[in-house]
Amino acid sequence: MSSFALEVKSLTKKIGKKTIVDNVSFQVKKGEIFGLLGPNGAGKTTIIRMIVSLINRSGGEVIINGRDLDDEFTLAMDNLGAIVENPEFYKYLSGYKNLRHYERMALSDIPGSRIKEVTELVGLEEAIHDKVKTYSLGMRQRLGVAQAILHKPSLLILDEPTNGLDPQGIREFREYLRKLANEGTSVLVSSHLLSEMQQMCDRFAIIERGKLVVISSMNEEKETDIHDVEFEVNDSVRAADLVRRYFPDAGLAAKGLQRLSISAARDTIPEINRMLVENEILVYEIINVKASLEERFLEITGKEREAYQA
Amino acid sequence: MIGLIQNEMMKIFGKKASWIYMVAIVLAILIGGIIYVKFTEDSNPNWRSEMKAEVTQLEAQVKSSKDKGEKEFLQREIEQKQYYLKENIDPNSKTSWHFMNEVVMGVSSLVTLFVVIVGSANVSAEFSDGTIKQLLIRPHRRWSVLLSKYIAMVLYALMMVAVLVVSGYLISIILCGNSDFNMKMYEMTLDGQKIAEAGPQFFMKILYLLPSLFVIMTIAFMLSTLFKSQALAVGIGIFVLFFSSTVGGLIVMLADKYTWAKFLIFPHLDLKIFAFQDKIMGNITLPMSLGILGVYYLIFIVVTFVFFQKRDISI
Repeated sequence: MSSFALEVKSLTKKIGKKTIVDNVSFQVKKGEIFGLLGPNGAGKTTIIRMIVSLINRSGGEVIINGRDLDDEFTLAMDNLGAIVENPEFYKYLSGYKNLRHYERMALSDIPGSRIKEVTELVGLEEAIHDKVKTYSLGMRQRLGVAQAILHKPSLLILDEPTNGLDPQGIREFREYLRKLANEGTSVLVSSHLLSEMQQMCDRFAIIERGKLVVISSMNEEKETDIHDVEFEVNDSVRAADLVRRYFPDAGLAAKGLQRLSISAARDTIPEINRMLVENEILVYEIINVKASLEERFLEITGKEREAYQA
Repeated sequence: MIGLIQNEMMKIFGKKASWIYMVAIVLAILIGGIIYVKFTEDSNPNWRSEMKAEVTQLEAQVKSSKDKGEKEFLQREIEQKQYYLKENIDPNSKTSWHFMNEVVMGVSSLVTLFVVIVGSANVSAEFSDGTIKQLLIRPHRRWSVLLSKYIAMVLYALMMVAVLVVSGYLISIILCGNSDFNMKMYEMTLDGQKIAEAGPQFFMKILYLLPSLFVIMTIAFMLSTLFKSQALAVGIGIFVLFFSSTVGGLIVMLADKYTWAKFLIFPHLDLKIFAFQDKIMGNITLPMSLGILGVYYLIFIVVTFVFFQKRDISI
C-alpha cells in the first residue's frame, strides 16, 4: 500500500494552445488536510476536476491510495469522495433518496444503517425525508458532506467548499474536516480564501497561472526565525529608545503611545521584555502577530508575477 | 449495472411529469374514444339492405347524369359499395378492435412526443442541475453510467407503449364492448384499399411503431448529451420530431427524382406505413427500411457515447 492518499504527477491540461495546468505534482499524506490555494482562474478547479476525472488530462498521472486512475479506474474512484463546488442534488427527490442513489453507486456493499449514521453525523435527521428543494444552502452543504463520506472514502476532495456558507457554517465545516482527518481520512481542499486555508490545512500548495509555485506547511511557518510581536507598554516612546539602544538589529515601529511593534528573532523577545522591565517600563501585554498566510501568499505570488513580467 | 438502472428509474419517476405523461395518454384515449363513439356515423344492423338500396339509387343517378366526370365519380362510389357487400364488411362498424386501430393508434404519436420530451431531458437535466458532477465521480465508467440512462429510457418508452395498449384495450371494451379479434376491416392506403384483420393489424402497427419510436428516442437522447441546457435539448428534440413528420412526405416526392433521397432518415421514421402497403417510395421494402434505420441508429449511438466519454465536465 502506498503511504500517500493521493499522488499527482506532472498533471497537465492544455486546451488548444493554451496551457491551463502546467506540470503540477504534489502528494497528500494519509490523515492530512492539504490545501490548494490560488487566485480565481489559477487552475485549482481544473486540477481538482482532473483528479476526480470530470476533465480529461492532457498529461500526467493521478494515483489514489496507490491505485492509478488509468489502470484501475473504478477501484481508484471507490477510494474517493468529493464535493465539486456547490453540491448539487436531485431537488425533486428527498435527501434520503439522494443518498440511496449514491449508495447504490458504491462498489462495496454499504450497510443499511450507514445512511442513518451519516445523516445523524451531519445533523439532518429531521429533514432527510423532505425534498431537497426545501433545503437551505447550509443543509445542502451538509447533505453534500454526507454523500461524500457515505462510502467511507480514504480521500475526500472538496472544491471551494465554503462558498456561500455563513461564518457559523464555515466553522462547523472546519471542525468537521478536522474530525475526519483525525479519523484517518485525507482531505484535499481548494480555496481562494487564504484565511480559511490557514485555519483548515496542515500543508498547502500555491497555484498560480496553472503552475505550482510552492508547497508549504503551516508548521514551517511558525518556525520562521523572525517573529512579529506587539508590546503594550506605558510609554512607547521611551521603550522604543531603549530597544533601539540595546537591540539595534530588531525592526521597530511605534504604534501610538502605548503600542510598539517589534520584529525580532524568537529567542530575543524574552530578552527585550526583561530589558524593558529592568528599565522600569511597565509591560502589560506581548502579542504574537502571526505572519498571515495572506501576506506570505501575496509575497510569493508577487515575486512570481515580477519574474513573469521581467 | 442493476443499481445504476434502478437509480435512473428512480430519477425518471421521481419527476411528476413522467407520471403526468402516462395519465395524459389514458385521458387522450378516453377523450378521443368518446368523440369516436359519439360523433362518427353509427353502424346499423341492416347495413346490407340499406347499402343495396343506395347502390340502386346511385345506378339510377348514373343513368340520368349527363356530365362525364360526375358519372365516373358515381361509378367509383358504386364499385366501392359493391365491394363492401361482396366482402361483407360494414365500413361503419365500431368494434373494440376498430377502436384500437383508429383511436389508440392516433394517440400513439403522443407517446412518441412524451418519450422525446423525457429522453431529451434525461442527460441534459443533469447538466443544467449540475448533478452530473456528483454522478460522474463514482466508481463507474462513464459509458456504463450513460448506458444505464439509455436502458432506463428504453424501459420508460416500453412502459408508455404498455400504458397505451392496455388502457386503450380497457377503454375500447368499456366504450364499444368486446369484439372478434380476427374481424375483417378496411384500411385505405395510398395504392387503394386493403382488407385486414382488425386485431392482428393493430399489433402489427404497434410492432412497426417500436423501431421508429426507439430511433426517435435515441435522437432525443443524443441531443440530450450534446446540449447542456435541458430547455434547448427538449426544444430541438420536439422540433426534430415535427420536422421529420412534415418533411417525410416531402422526401417521398423528392425520392421520385433522386435516389439518394430514399436513404434520408425521415421517410423511414414512420414504419407503420408498412402495415398498409408492402413498398414505399416505389421500391423500398420493410427490411430495407429497417436496415437504413439500423445504420442511422448505430451512428447516433456511437456519436452519443463517444461524445459523452470524451467530454470535459466544466460546469
